[in-house]
Parts: sequence; structure tokens; C-alpha cells
Amino acid sequence: MATAPQMPSTRPRWARSPFYFNSASHLLRIGREKAANLQELLEALRTCPESSIFQHTFQTLEEHHFIKEGFSNDFSHWAFAACNEVELAERLAAIDIREFTSIPSLRERIVHIIEAYLQKNPRAATRTAMEPFYLMASDLVVIPTPYVARNLEEFADGLRRVSIHSIYYHFIDARLRLKLNTNDFSSWLEQEMEMGQAADRLNRIDIYTSTLEGVRRSILKVIETETGRA
Amino acid sequence: MKEKDPQRKTANDEKNGRTREQKAEQTAKSAIIVEEAAVAKVASPPPPGAKERRFRQTDLPAHFIERRKHPRISTQQPPPPAPPRMDDYAPIIGQPELDEIRFLARHLRGKTVKMVNSTAVGGGVAEILNRLIPLMNELEIPTRWDVITGGNDFYEVTKGFHNALHGGDYNLTQQIRDIFMSYNEQNRQRMEFAEDLFVIHDPQPAGLVRSKSQKRGRWIWRCHIDLSNPHQGVWDFLKPLVEQYDASIFSAPAFTRQLSVPQYLFYPSIDPLSEKNKDLPEEFINKVCDDFGIDRSRPIITQISRFDRLKDPVGVIEAYKLVKKYVDCQLVLAGGGATDDPEGAVVLQEVMDAAGDDPDVIILNLPPWSALEINALQRASTVIVQKSLKEGFGLTVTEGLWKEKPVVAGAVGGIPTQIIHKLTGVLVHSVEGCAYQIRYLLTHPEFAAQMGRNGREHAKENFLITVNLKRWLLLFQILLGMARPNVTI
Repeated sequence: MATAPQMPSTRPRWARSPFYFNSASHLLRIGREKAANLQELLEALRTCPESSIFQHTFQTLEEHHFIKEGFSNDFSHWAFAACNEVELAERLAAIDIREFTSIPSLRERIVHIIEAYLQKNPRAATRTAMEPFYLMASDLVVIPTPYVARNLEEFADGLRRVSIHSIYYHFIDARLRLKLNTNDFSSWLEQEMEMGQAADRLNRIDIYTSTLEGVRRSILKVIETETGRA
Repeated sequence: MKEKDPQRKTANDEKNGRTREQKAEQTAKSAIIVEEAAVAKVASPPPPGAKERRFRQTDLPAHFIERRKHPRISTQQPPPPAPPRMDDYAPIIGQPELDEIRFLARHLRGKTVKMVNSTAVGGGVAEILNRLIPLMNELEIPTRWDVITGGNDFYEVTKGFHNALHGGDYNLTQQIRDIFMSYNEQNRQRMEFAEDLFVIHDPQPAGLVRSKSQKRGRWIWRCHIDLSNPHQGVWDFLKPLVEQYDASIFSAPAFTRQLSVPQYLFYPSIDPLSEKNKDLPEEFINKVCDDFGIDRSRPIITQISRFDRLKDPVGVIEAYKLVKKYVDCQLVLAGGGATDDPEGAVVLQEVMDAAGDDPDVIILNLPPWSALEINALQRASTVIVQKSLKEGFGLTVTEGLWKEKPVVAGAVGGIPTQIIHKLTGVLVHSVEGCAYQIRYLLTHPEFAAQMGRNGREHAKENFLITVNLKRWLLLFQILLGMARPNVTI
């Protein structure tokens, strides 16, 4: 018996729980530590609060979200611009914060890189930098937005409307909150929408070779492809 | 390159999507501004004591030479425009950002703020408060601005303190301490302190903190000056007052001292809708260049700053001379302070002597009401220079970044905060370095343009008045216990 052709469903797939878009603002606190050379930086890094490590690695990426190349974290930039230690700068720049889900492990990596470099180049330790490094800390305040997504269309709409700070908060800052190598968007797609592949594709977007606006566009591209498929 | 052929210009306009109607509207709009600016312009004589410049033989058209000798400068202060409203910033910062500011403000609605400084007019602090306070009130955070009063003896003391805190010599006697504290006490008795938040600007009114109550109100000391190398005696006198506040704010990490109270970093800011920074029609920029004899068909290097040795205008001329060997360009040095400041007049004469008979060094001594003209000069520039030897934060650098210009600046004061070397601008340490970087930018326009774009984003992200306002709202919430770091409000 012939069956009537099935019409494509126009009903969107609904999430088990909605995605609430938040944003974040931060205030900079000036820390007590400052470094005039690499040895002093190393000592400060061992004792400074976690919020300082966060500021100079995670938060600085948001502050410089418009730079596509040549900026990774403040320690690398200082090693290059103020200390003229190009090799150390390269090693520090290669730290990918997405590999870290806790600040202590990130601190350990930075300290290890500088220690190893100074062992090999002991004279660099006390050479005075052109500008001192001031350790700062960041107070991040989370702000809710009116955007809520219950399906992919609403998710894409929210992504288009929120500020760049919201993209940063959900896509980059999330790792430290989730303690997982993922982000809020991927986590929601996987757990609430059962879209594991799309979640993986989002997680592979390179934050170091793109601006945050570029990241927003890349996320939207993945979502729009999925929306088209549905 | 200046468009000279009118037919080609029309074709270009049509290619760029501008209709005849849009063009007519744009021209009418700019005509109004141009007319307003032209109202009271006269060909200006050199300032008192300065000689008229003589130029060597040149191919430049006569009208350029005439305007370079006698630039047309406005003689009357125009009426101030109405202050902008929050919604006016939406096209600049985007609606989501504006929504976030409004959201932060909503929680503070009804909380009262008192700001206190030492002058209602003139100076950077008054300029900032004039823009910030209307915005806070519009957000329904009632904000009052009080100014302390004092006799000449008080202002002599506070001027001495100001210089001493910048590292100058000072003889701090008991009498001076008494004058400072007694005027602070008089003002404290005169004022009421019933608000929820008190923001005291700079050292002059710092003693008002003695009205701090354990029960009510949070006190913030906003320090706009560089305390990196203060006179120890003066700082030791002020520090116990500062440490009574709940928080302090500085403009750059390098400007701070060790304190027992939390120190926050608030960058100084510019208003993108002010006369100095708002967008200008191309016709107006052309008109200003015409008034000053500037040739827009050749590269323009500009430094805007008062005639002060710490801004190193003579060093800029030396750098220009090195550049000129390779690139045909003009240098514009525009600023004020040479008419009412005897030292400024001396420096202006030094600058004129250094420029000699080179007609491509254009020196403009502008009155304080030249914000629109300065805006136009910055927008007409190919490269903006701020080769300071010592600097506060360097808001002229911020202005250049905002206008998407490649900026070459001395690595002093707050400038390295604004310029990430080779990403948002270029930092230099010498005349030769300055010259090389200008040459490089003039001959690599794509690199210069990318740096300009980065610079504008950097300014938008960190140095606009809207960012400053957001920081205030966050700090108020944190101090009032309404927001805790890393917790959703």
C-alpha cells in the first residue's frame, strides 16, 4: 500500500531546558605585586592571587578581543615588548587557556615555562625590563540578559543579539566554571539538544586566530548549518 | 588623496552608494557647522612676543602660504552643545552594551551619590564630571556635585601639594598642614553627608572623609594624578586620610602607592559625542584645513598638545626633518597655552625657531574653544604623534586611537596602557625611533590602517565614557554589597 509522502516537520526541536544568556563585566583591581625583571615576575607568579593569573590570561583575551594575531596573554607580551626575550615570549604565547580548567594548573604551567627559560638563560633573570609588570586582578560580575533560547532558532537569535562580553563569558570563561574542556554553548547543545557533533564543532573554533566577533560568526555558522538541516 | 575633479568625485560618491539627495542633506548639515565655526574667525597674528614666520621659496600655492602665516582662528567661544543622553550612545557602543549599563543602573536606582572636587570649571576632572553626572542622573541614580571652597592660601597649599605629589621639592610646615586641614574642616561643616556613596576627587578635599560614618555610606577616593614619585613628606601627611576610605581609584597601575584599602583601576575616558570626538562631515574637515593652510593632498603628521617642553614639540620637528628626507609631508603642531602662560610663549618661540623657514611646519596656537578644529585636524591627519617626555594618561593619544589613526607616542605615563606596541599604535623612545616609525607608517598604509582599526576598538573597549560609567556602576554595586564577584546579580 502506497503511503503519503512525509512532509518535513516545521516544528523546531525543543531543548530539555532553556539556555539563559548571561553577560559579564569586570572591574580591575591593582595588585600589590610588581616585577621589574623576570625573576621578580616568577616570584610574584608563585604567590599572587588566582584572580591575577585569571586577569592576565583569560580576561586579557576579552580586553583584546579585536586583535587577530600577535596577542595571547600579558606575560608573553611583556616578555616580548619589555624584556626583549623573544624565545620566552613565544613559549608563553603558545599556552592555550582552553587546555586549563583550573587556575592552579595554569599558574603551574606559566611558572614552569619561566623557570625552565631562566635555568637556560640565567642572565635574563635580573635584567631590568623597560617597563615594570604590574599584577592586576579582576572582579567579574555576571549580568543576566533578556535572551533565552528553547530551540536552535532562538539560540541563533540570542547569539546575534548579545554583547561580545556574553560570548566571552559563555565561550571562554565557562571552562573555569564548568571545570571541563568545553564551553556553555557546547554543553547546552550536547546535554539539552542532543547535538553532540555540533557541540564538538563549536569547541574546535580557534579563539587565538580570530576576534571575538569572528568567534560569534563561526558559532552562528555552525548553528545555521544545523538549523538548515533540521 | 584629495579629490580634485568634481566629475570624478560625483562618480565616486555614486559608486559608494551616496545618492544626490543624501549628498545634498550631508552638504546642508555640514554647511551649518561650517557656517557656525566660521562666524567669528579672523586671520590670527602671532602671539605676543612671537615673531612672524618667514618661509623659504616654495612651490606651494600662495593661499597656503598666506594661511600658514595667518591662520583663520575663531575668536569667540561657541555656546556649549546640549549634553548627550544615554540613547545617543547606542549607535556607537551597540544596544546590548547599553542594555547592560541600564541593567546595572536599575539595581542602583534611588541610591544617592555625592561627588566632590575643587573646581567647577576648567581642568580635566570638571570636564569628566560635566559629562558623567547627567548620565548618572538620567539613569535615576541621583548624583550631586559639590565643589569645596577656600581662600587663596588654601589654593596655594593645594597647588604646592599637587606639584610635590608629582615629585617636586616642597617645604611642608605645620602652618601648611593647618591651612589644609582647617579648610577641609570648614567645608566638612558646611556640607551635608546624607548620600549612600561619596566620591572625593584628588587630594584637595581628601579630608572630608572625617565625616565618614560607620553606619551609612561608602567612601571612594578618586586620584587623577600620578603618585609614582611623590614628595615623601606630603604623601605621609595625606596617606592616613586616604586609608580611611573604603576604596581608591587610580588612572594607571604605575600611578599608585601601597595602600591598605583596595585600589581599582579606572582609565580616564573620552566622550565620543563631544565636540572633540564626534564624527565630522568631510566638508568641515576640508574647511578647517583651508583655514589653516593645510594641504590635504600630501601626508599630514600632527601633534596636538599645549606648548610645553614635556611634550617635546622640538623633538617632533627633529623627527619630521628626518622623515622629510624620504617622504614629502607636512607637520602640524597645534595647541594652546602660549597666550596666557609666559612659559608657553617661550616654548612657542623655541618651536618657531626650530621650524625655521620650512613652510611645511604648520604651527597653530589655538584658543581653548577649538575642540571642533582639533577634532578636524586629528581626522585630517595621516599619522598622529604624541612624543611626550612625561605624561599623565595622555588623552590626546586616546583621541587619536578613537579616530582610527595610527599613533606614534612616547612610552611614558599612561601611554603604554593605551598603546600595545605595533598592535594598537607604536611606542618610541627617541627622535630617531619616532622618525623611523612615522616613515614606516607613511610608506605602509595597510599596516597603518590595521593599527588604526585596532586602536579604535581598544579605545571603544576601554577608554570611552560609557565604559567609565559602567565601571562606576559596578564599583557602587560591589561597595554596597549588591554584587559579589563571579555571582550573577
